[in-house]
Amino acid sequence: MASKVISATIRRTLTKPHGTFSRCRYLSTAAAATEVNYEDESIMMKGVRISGRPLYLDMQATTPIDPRVFDAMNASQIHEYGNPHSRTHLYGWEAENAVENARNQVAKLIEASPKEIVFVSGATEANNMAVKGVMHFYKDTKKHVITTQTEHKCVLDSCRHLQQEGFEVTYLPVKTDGLVDLEMLREAIRPDTGLVSIMAVNNEIGVVQPMEEIGMICKEHNVPFHTDAAQAIGKIPVDVKKWNVALMSMSAHKIYGPKGVGALYVRRRPRIRLEPLMNGGGQERGLRSGTGATQQIVGFGAACELAMKEMEYDEKWIKGLQERLLNGVREKLDGVVVNGSMDSRYVGNLNLSFAYVEGESLLMGLKEVAVSSGSACTSASLEPSYVLRALGVDEDMAHTSIRFGIGRFTTKEEIDKAVELTVKQVEKLREMSPLYEMVKEGIDIKNIQWSQH
Amino acid sequence: MVSSSEVLSLCRALLRAGRQFPDYNIREYSKRRTLDGFRMNKNLTDPSKVTEAYAEAKKQLFVAERVLKVYLAYPPKTKNIMEVKLQ
Repeated sequence: MASKVISATIRRTLTKPHGTFSRCRYLSTAAAATEVNYEDESIMMKGVRISGRPLYLDMQATTPIDPRVFDAMNASQIHEYGNPHSRTHLYGWEAENAVENARNQVAKLIEASPKEIVFVSGATEANNMAVKGVMHFYKDTKKHVITTQTEHKCVLDSCRHLQQEGFEVTYLPVKTDGLVDLEMLREAIRPDTGLVSIMAVNNEIGVVQPMEEIGMICKEHNVPFHTDAAQAIGKIPVDVKKWNVALMSMSAHKIYGPKGVGALYVRRRPRIRLEPLMNGGGQERGLRSGTGATQQIVGFGAACELAMKEMEYDEKWIKGLQERLLNGVREKLDGVVVNGSMDSRYVGNLNLSFAYVEGESLLMGLKEVAVSSGSACTSASLEPSYVLRALGVDEDMAHTSIRFGIGRFTTKEEIDKAVELTVKQVEKLREMSPLYEMVKEGIDIKNIQWSQH
Repeated sequence: MVSSSEVLSLCRALLRAGRQFPDYNIREYSKRRTLDGFRMNKNLTDPSKVTEAYAEAKKQLFVAERVLKVYLAYPPKTKNIMEVKLQ
C-alpha cells in the first residue's frame, strides 16, 4: 500500500512538473524560435551581415532555373547519357533525339528552321563566334565592322581583337535614349563593311533597338546583320525573318534555363559563312566541335518552349511590377531619373539614377536587395558604366545608377520592400549629403567652381 | 467531359503542391500561376478545350509533385528576407 502511494506520488511529481515544464519549454522555444531564428537566419558573408536571403532583383544578370525546366533536365539526366554524336547505338540515338527536340524548341521561339541553330556554351561564345568568325571568313574582301558603344563587353572586346588584327571598327554612338541613330548607321556602312553587330535588348538599360529598321538598312546594303539577343529571346517577340538577321546570339540562363548553354542562329538562305572558333570532331555542322552538352541543351529547349507559352502572361505581370516600382520610388523621392528610353524598353528592366547620392554607398546600404549598378562584368569596378556614359549621362548620375531586374518569380511584396528599402537608404544618404542641402537652398551645383587644395 | 468537381480538386491539388516549395519565390509563383491559369479557363465551354486544359493542368501537377521532392531534399540554408520579416 505504502509503496503504491509512494509510486503514485512519484509518478505525479514526475509527470506533473514535467508536463508543465515541457509546456513551458515548448512555449519558450516557440517564442525564442522567432528571435533565435532571426539570428540564425542572418548570413555573414564578405563582412556583411544580412538577415536573410536578399530579394533577387537582378534578372538581367541571370535568372533562377524554372522548376519545369529543371524537371525536363532531370528526366534527361538519368538515362540519356549517350554522346549525341554516337551513331552506332541506342544511347547515342536517344541523346541525339533529345538534342534535336531542343533544337526544334529553340528554332520555334525565334521563327527559324532547326537546321539554323548551333548550340554553343553561351551568348559570349556565340558573339565571339559571330563577330570573329564572319570577319575571318571574309577577310579578303571585307575589312570593316560596325557596332555600337553600348554593346555587351564580349562584342566590344571581340571587335578590339579584330582591330589588333588590322580590321577597322566603327563604334556608333547612341542617342540620349540609348537608341541607335539609323541615319548614322546608314552613313557608316562602307563597301568593305563585313558585319553590323547591334544588340536587340541592352543588358544594362533594357532599351529595345529598332531591329526591323536596322535589318532593312543592312539588307539594302547587303551587309550581314548580327544581333546579340541574349536579353531579348523569350521576353519580347523575336522573328529572325522580320528582323532580317544573319546571325543571332542566344543564352539559356537569361530565360530561366541552365547556365553554360546558348545558341547561335546562323542563317542558311541567303547563306552566311563563318570560321569556327573550335576545331575538332565537326559537330554542329562543323561550326562548334565538341560533344554537345545534352542535358543543358534539353534545359535550354524546355526554357524556350516555356518562354514562348508564358511570354504574354509574364509580360503583363512584369509590366505591372515595373510600374509599381517606378511609381513607388517617384512618389517618395525627387531627382530620380530613368536611364534609357521608356517607350522602347523591355519591361523587366528599370535602370534608375538617384541624384545627389553616392552610388557605392547606396549599393552597400541596399544589402537586402540583390541589385547591381550595371552589368555584372562592370559592377565590380568603381568606374561608372560605359553604357550610361555613351548615353551622355553625367558622371555623377552615372555613378548612382541602379539596375532593377524584374522577372517571372518576382512578387508584389518584393517590389514594395525594394521600394521601401531604396527610399530609406536614399533619404538617409541625402540627409548626410552637403550637396543635397545646397540644392535644397537653391544653389546650382553644376556651376560651382570647386577650389582645389 | 470533365466535371467541375474534378477541376476544382485538381486546382486544389496544384495549390497544395505549390504551397510546399521551400523557396519563397517559387511558392508564390506557383500559387499565382495556378489561380490565374484556372481563372483564365473559367469560361471554357467547348468540351474538347476543357479536356485539353484539364490534361495540361494535370501534367503541371505531375511536374510539381516530381520536382517538389527534390526541392524539399535541398531546402535553402537561409530563409528569404521576405519570410524572415513576416514571422
